[in-house]
Order: sequence, then structure tokens, then C-alpha cells
Amino acid sequence: MKERIGVYICHCGGNISDYVDVERVRQAVENDKGVALAKTTVFACSDSNQNDMVEDIKKHNLDGVIVASCSPKLHLVTFRNVTERGDLNKYTYVHTNIREQASWAHSNDKNGATEKAIHLVKAAIAKSRYAEPLYPNQFEAEKTIAVIGAGISGMKVAATLSDKNTQVILIEKEIRVGGHAATWGSLAMSDERGDDLSRRIYSDLLQRDNVTILTGSEVISSKGSIGNFTLKVRKRPYQAGDPVETMEFNVGSVVVATGFDSYLPKEGEFGFLSYENVITLPDFKHLIDSFSGKFLEYKGKRVSRIAYIYCVGSRQIDGENKYCSRYCCTSVIHAAIQAKKKFNNIYNFHFNRGIRTYGKQELLYAESLQQGDIYLQSFEDAPPQVYAENGITKVKVKDVLTKNKELEVEADLVVLVTGMVPRTDNSIGTLFKLPKGRDKFFNEVHMKLRPVETVIDGVTIAGACQGPKNIVESVNSALSAATKSYSYISKGMLETEPIVAEVNAELCTWCGKCAEACPFDAIEQKKINGKQVAVVNNSVCKGCGMCAPVCPPDAIHLVNYSSEEIMSMIDALV
Amino acid sequence: MASKLNPTFSEQLKKYGSVNFNACYNCGTCTAICSLSTTDDSFPREMVRLSTLGLEDEIKKSLKPWECYYCGECTTHCPQTANPGELMMSLRRWLTAKYDWTGLSGLFYKYLPAFLTTMVLVFAGVLFFANSVNWELERLLHLGHMFERTAIATVFVVIFIPNLLRMWYFTVVKAGVKVPFKTYFTALNDLFVHMFTQKRARDCDGNHFRWLEHMILVFAYLALLFTTVFLNWFSTENLFVIVLGYLESAFIFIITADFVKDRIQKKQTLTKNSKPSDWFFVIWLMLMGLTAFFVRLFIDFNILETSKWLYIIHLTVLMQWALIIVPFGKWTHFLYRSFAMYFAKIKSVKK
Repeated sequence: MKERIGVYICHCGGNISDYVDVERVRQAVENDKGVALAKTTVFACSDSNQNDMVEDIKKHNLDGVIVASCSPKLHLVTFRNVTERGDLNKYTYVHTNIREQASWAHSNDKNGATEKAIHLVKAAIAKSRYAEPLYPNQFEAEKTIAVIGAGISGMKVAATLSDKNTQVILIEKEIRVGGHAATWGSLAMSDERGDDLSRRIYSDLLQRDNVTILTGSEVISSKGSIGNFTLKVRKRPYQAGDPVETMEFNVGSVVVATGFDSYLPKEGEFGFLSYENVITLPDFKHLIDSFSGKFLEYKGKRVSRIAYIYCVGSRQIDGENKYCSRYCCTSVIHAAIQAKKKFNNIYNFHFNRGIRTYGKQELLYAESLQQGDIYLQSFEDAPPQVYAENGITKVKVKDVLTKNKELEVEADLVVLVTGMVPRTDNSIGTLFKLPKGRDKFFNEVHMKLRPVETVIDGVTIAGACQGPKNIVESVNSALSAATKSYSYISKGMLETEPIVAEVNAELCTWCGKCAEACPFDAIEQKKINGKQVAVVNNSVCKGCGMCAPVCPPDAIHLVNYSSEEIMSMIDALV
Repeated sequence: MASKLNPTFSEQLKKYGSVNFNACYNCGTCTAICSLSTTDDSFPREMVRLSTLGLEDEIKKSLKPWECYYCGECTTHCPQTANPGELMMSLRRWLTAKYDWTGLSGLFYKYLPAFLTTMVLVFAGVLFFANSVNWELERLLHLGHMFERTAIATVFVVIFIPNLLRMWYFTVVKAGVKVPFKTYFTALNDLFVHMFTQKRARDCDGNHFRWLEHMILVFAYLALLFTTVFLNWFSTENLFVIVLGYLESAFIFIITADFVKDRIQKKQTLTKNSKPSDWFFVIWLMLMGLTAFFVRLFIDFNILETSKWLYIIHLTVLMQWALIIVPFGKWTHFLYRSFAMYFAKIKSVKK
């Protein structure tokens, strides 16, 4: 029980003190039980006040600290650190929010705002009396990392981790490595070949002792959590009759790099499958990569005029794929340039919805214009139409760049510029419970600040499984996912927040309701001293508190939010 | 009915002098910067677009290439260096070829050897003619004068009237313009104002001096034509007419010399991409003025009899000018530009 609590009431410039009479708040609490010191301060978060607090803790021998100021989202950590500098356990610090809760919410009622602030501070004092010192959970981390998917991204992750002297298990479902990129010829911008690029990284990986490459293999189960995952991997037999091998690996972190599928147009979508000369961008790319001869041919017919229809399966108004696939504009313009250079008598017509060849890729757009490619633009409400007349496939559009005039091309080949969609095989996502964004790709924690982490601790994402990316962007994300995953296990020990759920085994009768309520699968059933009870995995629990209110015998509670604390706060508030 | 695209048109247009207009990404900077373009009547982006798409019928219908007086601002500011100014220039050449029923304009623009051969043939014709009259100066002068009158009348009837009718057919009839017949008379004012003042060129940014030079040149040229054909400058004794002729021919060769200098220096956008048709037009006009000046001078000093070669040169330049450059070359812009403003006026009545 704390008996020497220091209370600081912040003006926040005038943000609080304009509406809350901070001096009245101070006077109302200074004589409360356990309060040794009550002060007001213009800016509690200022360096000078922080130093004063550290001094106060030592001089007045304080055993608890409360700051009544802004939201804990802003400064909880700040004042926890101040408490720690005063040699107190930082988890004994109690924060109360009288800015958003009192002054801002009740700016039309100064007296009411002040009354509310007084109650909030009194509740904080009540909580502070019970606050116990807490210590982070520490445990050992496995120094091996699993990488799922051996495309360009996955292989770059493996190489990067191998450089850091980490054991890597690279798991690939297909018989070969390299993913989509290994099937391409010349690539945009660098004009390297995709198969060469993939072969180069692969042969580099083969030189490394600390990388185990498993092809034809799938992860079929995952147990454990950050630092200690146990993955079961099934390797398909190479030949009929070979036994199916199942292996188990213990890894500290997992990098998911499972890539994308190409959008497959529906039957009849821009004439797909209705006319035989309507093909997708990947098909077209494979055609021009592999076809040799002076004139391009498709299905035995000479090709001269090629119509490219952009944004097929992307930026849909009615469909599910609202997003832009980013890579396709560049990719198709590169393919069109390649076709014109490689074959005689090629004329390219680009039916687009605005060209997004961002960054240096703009040079390709310029090159395509220079070589005489024609760009026709329409908006989403008036897409181009593909139809046939007398056996001739035609594409027509109302071109916004020509006063919406209806223009028409007789096309020998229609290329549907298809984008990237999430893998239809979602087994890895299900296995690790990876959350997905609105685009159905795997989602990061924070788009800008935590771009490769997932809410599942220890699991990072790399490459196009996160959303459409070109090879440059995939490799960028691969390098950062590798580094992030490495940072989880690099110290050998992991620390997690001590604010987790705690089970009173004597009261627990295992009904399973807490496990059902837990969004992170942190609660398991275990037999302890001959009794079935709930056990919390401290490294998985996020301290969200979903389990506590659903327990019938009140056997589970959240550390730092015990029933005593909460009840005493309620008493102070009402 | 959807219009069919023709990607080969840009290759065709290159022969008329277009440069890099395919690079256009339709930002519209050219149209925004153009001091002659208006909201209702905007160019040059629209013409660049029609050219890229190869919509020949649309281009033939349009008067816009003639509405541009090539200040070059669009080309200076084009972020893609697509040179819209030169595109408009090449469209004017292409239209000239399309208006010409004989097809010779197109042939001369596209194939320089054909043009040069014809020029040489005319020179040979002059020598043949001079030889047939035994190089007698008196007869040469007389027949030269006769020829000039006949040539003007013939070119007018055989070439200009049909070609202007074709221009009218393409730009007014085919464009679906129907106006009361009297409009053709009320709009005549515009025809003559633009023909003799090129007043629209004055609105081109930073072009005032060039406009003034050009207008003086036009007046000097037309006046010299009148002075030689109707006042018979080479044979007259009237002092006023003699001095007038000197002045006119001097103005012609001084101003054209300045234009030639500009084209050599290539300082303005307008003069950076001179085609043979531009060179021949301005140089032959200069030679016309120069040789006429000296022919009269030699007459006044009474030495032409001993320097017949000068008159032969003058006659050659004159014949090449009247038989090739005037009907099939750049000279026609004098007519097409002013008639374009006339037809534009007629079209505007429609609303």
C-alpha cells in the first residue's frame, strides 16, 4: 500500500487550466490519504519539470507518482521513465487524463470540468495505492529463422539473414525457386533477364552453409510464439513411390514471402476467352520473350496492331479489387517497347486510365511515346469495348484526350493488362492468423513506421504478399523484413510487457470461455496438480483484458488492473 | 461511327517536316501558353492529338493550322520537347498539298529531287526560249513581260481558284457548316483585312517587328508586281514609276535578306527547322527583288545590252518563281491564311 504519493497537476499551457481550476484540484486532493505531495505545473512534460519530479521522488521519499495531464497515448511512457529515473519501479506510475476527459470535453462548464478532474485524480490516487512493481517477461529466443516462399523476396531475405550468421530455413512450395520473376525474360528498366536474376541469387544461396533450401515443401502447422515457433514441414515426394517426408523445425522468427497471383479475367471480361486473340499481360510477355522471327505471330496469325487494355482486375468500381497494382503500367509499356524493337511492323495502342510510371520508370513512358505508341484514355465509367466484326477483333473507346471522340482500332492482338491479386492459397495466412487489409493482402502493423511487422509478434512480411510491388520494391521490403526478424532474435533473449492476464489456478475450473474470448490464442488448457486449468502464454498475451470479464468464477485478471484497483477507483469516482 | 486510327500518318507527316510530336503527353501547356488560342477555338494540342491518332479527315476539316502564326512559345515551353510549333508548320505544308488538285505540291514537299529537277527544267526552258529569239534583248524584255501576265492569269485560273474551292469544300462544306449565302459577302471584309495586314500575326507574343517587316514585304511585293506588270517598269520613261520600282525591289531584297539571315542564325524557334520549301521561297523572293533592281539599274546606265546574262538570270528566277514556287510552294500561304480567316468568320456565323 503506497503511503507517499506525489501528485502533479498540469496546466498544459492553458489547454487544461483555461477550463479546469487546477489550483482547486490540487487543494481537493492534497490532504487525501497517502498523498505526500501535490503540485501544479505549467508543462509537466517539460525537461525542467521532469527533473523536479526526479528530485521530489528522492527528497520526499515518494513511493508512487501520478501526473494528471493529457492522454496516456502521448506521455505515459515519458512519465514512466521519469519514475524509473527516480529509482522507482516504472509500472507503479499512474497516469490520468484531465485534458481530453475534462477540459476539452467540458469547455462550456468550467465548474463541472473541475469537479470531474478532481474525481479523476482521486481515482488515480486510489489506483496508485495498490500499484505493485512489475518486471518484463524474459525468455530465450531460438536463433534460426524460417522464410516461407523462395521468390526473389524470400531468397533475398535468406541471403541477408545468412550474412548475419543466422541459420535460415527457406521453404518453397514449388519444385523450383524464383517465383514469377524466374519465368520472365527481359525486365523493365534494367533489361536483365528475370531467369538470370533469380539464378544469380539462387546460386549464391547454394554456396552458403547456413541456408537450408526445401523445395516442394509446405508448412503444415505452426505452434508457439515469438522466439520459439515450432513449424511442421511436409516435403512432397519427387517421384511416385517415394515416402512423404515430414520435418519439424524450431525457429525464433518467421518471414512470410508468399508472393501474389496474377489476376485472371472472367470469361467475357474485355472479350477474354470469347475471342482467341485476347490474352493477359503475363501471356503476352511470355509470347514476346519466347517468339523468334521477324514478324510476331500468335496462333499462326501475323500480329501488327496490338491493343493494350489497362487496369484489368485493378481499380475496379464494382469488383473487389479497388487498388492499383502499380507495376502493370511500367510492365506493359516495357513489353510494348520490347515488341516494337524485336519485331517488324508493330503498332501499339494503349487504352489506359491514366499512366502511373512513377519515378525513373517515366523514362520508359517517354521512350514509348517517342517510338510512336498511341495512348488513348478513358475513365472508369466508360471503359474500352472489345468486340468482333466480320471476324476482326476491334477495340473502341471514347477518348478523353480527343474531346471524348469515339475511336476504334482493329487489333490483331488484345492484351489485357492484368494486375496482382492475393494468393488464392491462403494456408500460410490461416496458419499464422495473419490479418489482411481491405485489399486482402497481408497487412502490416503501421503503413509508415512498422511496414514489415505483423500484429503476430515474430512474424514479418516481405514482397508482394503484402500488396502489389515490383522487384525493386519487393527487394526493399525483403531487406527490411530480414533485418526486423533478425532483431527479434539477435540478443538471444526476448522481453515482453509485464501487463498480461494472470490465472488464479485455485479458482479456475476450466470452462474455456477465456480462451474463446482471447483474440491472440494466448490461453491454453493445461493440467496442473491433477486439475484442468487455463494457462496464459506470457509471450503471446497482449494484455488487452478481453478474458477478465467473461470468467464466471473471476479467476482471471489483468496484472496492473486487479479487481481491487478497479473497485477502489470506481469508489473514488462516484 | 467510330473513327479509325492511323499510326502511319506520323511517318507521312515527317516528310512534311514534323519533329518529335509523338512525344506529346497531352499536358496542354502549348494551348495554355498560346496567345492566339481561345477557349472556343483552342490549339495546338488538339492538332498534335489528331496528328498522333492519324485522323486525316479531321485535320483536313480544320482551319486551325492556319490560325497559328508561329511565335514558337509552345515549342519553347513544351516539357516533352514535342515541338508543337513545327507540327503546326508541317500541317500547313500537308494541307497545302491536300488542297492542291494537281498533287505537285505534295510531290515537291516530299521529294526534293523532283523539285530541283523541275527548277532545272525551267532554267533550260528559259535558255531554249532565249536561244529561239537569238538573244535579242528587245524581244526578250517584251516576251518576258508578256509571259509574266499570262503566267499570273493562268496560275490564278488553273491552280488557285480550284484549290481555294477545294479548301472551301474540305473546311466548310465537309465540316457541315450551313450559313445564309449573304454571309459570304459580309465576311469579305475579314478576307481583305487579313490578306493585306496579317493583323492576327500582331497578336503573336513578341512578334511585332517581324509582323511589321512581313507586312511591308507583302506590300512591296504586291506593288512591285503591279509596277512591273501594269506599269511596265522595265520599259517606262516615267520617273515616278522608275523610282517607285527601285524602292519596292529594294524593300524586298533588304527584308528578305534579313529573313534569310534569321534562318541561318536559327535564333528563333520559327527559324530553327527550315525546310527546302522555306529556303527556296525566301531566297527566290530575295533574288527576284535583287535581279529586278539591277536589271532596271543596268537599263538606266544603258549597259543591259552588253550584260544580257543578268536579264537571263532575272527571267529564270521569275519563271521558277511564277511556275513552281507560287502555285505549288510556300507562296500559297498568302492565300490560304487569309481565306482561312475568311472561312473561320463564315463558320462563326453558324452559331
